[in-house]
Amino acid sequence: MSNDNPINNLKIEFTGSGSEYFRIWITNMFLILVTLGLYWPWAKARRLRYFWGNTVVNGDPLGFHGDPKQMFKGWVLVAVLIGLYNFASNFSETAGAVAFLVLAALWPALWRSSMNFRMNNTSWRGLRFRFAGSLGDAYKAHLPLVLLLPLPFMLGYWGPQEMENPGAMEMALPFIGIVLLSIALMPWLIWCMKVYQHRNYAIGSLQSDFRASLASFYLVAIKPFFLAAFVLISVGLFIANSFAEAKAGMPSQLLMFLPVALILAWLLFLLGIGPWLTTRMQNLVWTKTGSLVQIESGSLKIRFVSQLSFRSMFLLSLKNGFLMVITLGFYWPFAKIATARLRLEAVHIRSNTELDTLLAMLNKGPEETAGDAAGDFFGLDVGL
Amino acid sequence: MENSLPSSPTRLPVRYFDGQSSRPYEVDAWFEGGQLHLHSADIDRLVLVKRVQWPERTTHGPRLALLPDGGSLQTADSFAWDSWVQSARADSIVVRLQQSWRGVFLSVILLMALATMAYLWGLPWAAREIAQRIPDSIESQAGDVVLRQVQGFTQPSKLPEQEQLAIELAWRKVLTAHTLAQQAKGVAVRPTRLLIRDSSIGPNALALPGGVIILTDDMVRLVRNDAQVVSGVLAHELGHVQKRHGMQMLVQISVLGLVASAVWGDYSGVLAAVPLWVGHAHYSRTAEREADAYSADVLHDAGVAPAVMVTLFERLQLFKQCGRSVLEPQAVRSGSNCKKDKEEPDGDDNGMWDLGFSSHPSDESRIAFFRGSPNVQAK
Repeated sequence: MSNDNPINNLKIEFTGSGSEYFRIWITNMFLILVTLGLYWPWAKARRLRYFWGNTVVNGDPLGFHGDPKQMFKGWVLVAVLIGLYNFASNFSETAGAVAFLVLAALWPALWRSSMNFRMNNTSWRGLRFRFAGSLGDAYKAHLPLVLLLPLPFMLGYWGPQEMENPGAMEMALPFIGIVLLSIALMPWLIWCMKVYQHRNYAIGSLQSDFRASLASFYLVAIKPFFLAAFVLISVGLFIANSFAEAKAGMPSQLLMFLPVALILAWLLFLLGIGPWLTTRMQNLVWTKTGSLVQIESGSLKIRFVSQLSFRSMFLLSLKNGFLMVITLGFYWPFAKIATARLRLEAVHIRSNTELDTLLAMLNKGPEETAGDAAGDFFGLDVGL
Repeated sequence: MENSLPSSPTRLPVRYFDGQSSRPYEVDAWFEGGQLHLHSADIDRLVLVKRVQWPERTTHGPRLALLPDGGSLQTADSFAWDSWVQSARADSIVVRLQQSWRGVFLSVILLMALATMAYLWGLPWAAREIAQRIPDSIESQAGDVVLRQVQGFTQPSKLPEQEQLAIELAWRKVLTAHTLAQQAKGVAVRPTRLLIRDSSIGPNALALPGGVIILTDDMVRLVRNDAQVVSGVLAHELGHVQKRHGMQMLVQISVLGLVASAVWGDYSGVLAAVPLWVGHAHYSRTAEREADAYSADVLHDAGVAPAVMVTLFERLQLFKQCGRSVLEPQAVRSGSNCKKDKEEPDGDDNGMWDLGFSSHPSDESRIAFFRGSPNVQAK
């Protein structure tokens, strides 16, 4: 691909253990229940500290320094927003729509804020990361969503309930149309968001760049798209057909098979398409993330390389799914650790320079120190 | 672990990062007089022990302590670190819990016990209390939204005028008797409004938030205009209104959904919906039983034997077997005309299904309730 001479590979290892994380998970779940949820931010900080601390890059662990009290503020903010939205939408359609629009308008800012928080509170070898993304760009990254937003409202106005006696096709078409359009716009949306995230990770004088093209995202999406479209159209027609028959007064035999069809479709997504997309996306997104800096001795290149295999991801999701069901969900912490190990250890960092040169690039510049306080104030952790 | 005397505290070799450069310093660290000492050829620092953000003890993973100025201490030798730190500060209770299998076992037991109690009693109690405190104006606003939706899929009643009138009169009589009986006990009956509507949803009655009760034409046809049975059905719906089941269910389901998605949501939203589904059915069956009991009380107040309700369930069984033919005026008097395709297992009457997922108690148990209702025996 390029004529770098990779002389330095930094290995990523994950040392977390399922049984230990199970103990942390269950104890914290208990505390969350006893405190009626108020303990959530403390539990989350502990979880992140465990995952970060067990992610070892070239022999040194990542540090997570998030202050649970700060995370508590974000937790309260999100709880209030979602509570208000639920409240409003239960009592009036207009209030619900307004609340939804307010939430949607705030969302990109909250999203950026939580990335700020994550990066500012992550360290490696004693050095904090930064998130350099601007507020304006956070909104631009959500542009594809603006196109999708009015669709449900449009369906409300021109939808099938206006018609006297909607047939199967009339019932299903707007629904299928919206689903297909959402799926068609999805790679663009994810690409915009990844561009924003992966161009703005920074530490010292390094800032990441992201070179994956929009086309490459669509290439990843094309196979699952056709499969999903096929499944969704079949199921959609199936539902519409059953409805039409039931309306005419015929006890529909098809309705008996509907749950089976839905469960099969769901399994296909959970165990097949899901892991496939995770694998392809991780490999694409991380392998295209890197940095190129001009230094005295030439150009310094550094990038991630992700070589996750679908086979191992698929087998793991089968195993996790099976054990999740037979343990009624108690396997979850083990599944999480196993997935983190597989995904993290598939990645390494490749650079064309000596480690010492690279490490020197990470050192804090004098201009950075001023930014720290601002980061602390605006950085709210909102991701639930 | 060596035996340390107060005069010579244990020194631990650790890596110190100053937070400005990626270069580590190999330093010796020890505790003395509530302070953490760091010492090497280039470094000599004192930090108050309580101002350090100490890592929690885990079996796996290195140790990383954060100093107040952004510097940090790291070591991969967690075992040595833990015994060294123990001389200055004790583990928190949470760490002790999660690091002992006995503590974890205790957590699991307590968690399951608490979750079960919260599910069976705590949440229904809290939801009932909250529902009681939601102002009527808000509830009726929510009711208006639902009413508009209901009016979308129903049409004005097609029953003859005098049949509608007869039902309304009979219901008013029962309601008045019940209201008076309640007044004597100092309890106010919430105002309700009856709407008779024609709909393809079949024989049914619904209580909307805010006190609107919808009765479908098919329900009246099903019980062949028996005003007593219709009053029993309406009294059941009045029970939902009086106990504010709609709002209570809303609170219960919101909380349950929040908990389920917090615990399993990031694995699979569908899996997280399973507890929600089961919980909804469970709470709904409880509400139905309460409404049945309320209905029996109302009928008793009006001097009607609650056992008249048995007719309803028998007719409903017939409807399930024979379909809409039961609703026609000149229709079958018993089930004999309609072939019983009942032999094949029917999803709704499956015992296991009822146990977990059905939103109503089984017809058999409801018939048994109305037959054996204590009010009947009191007569």
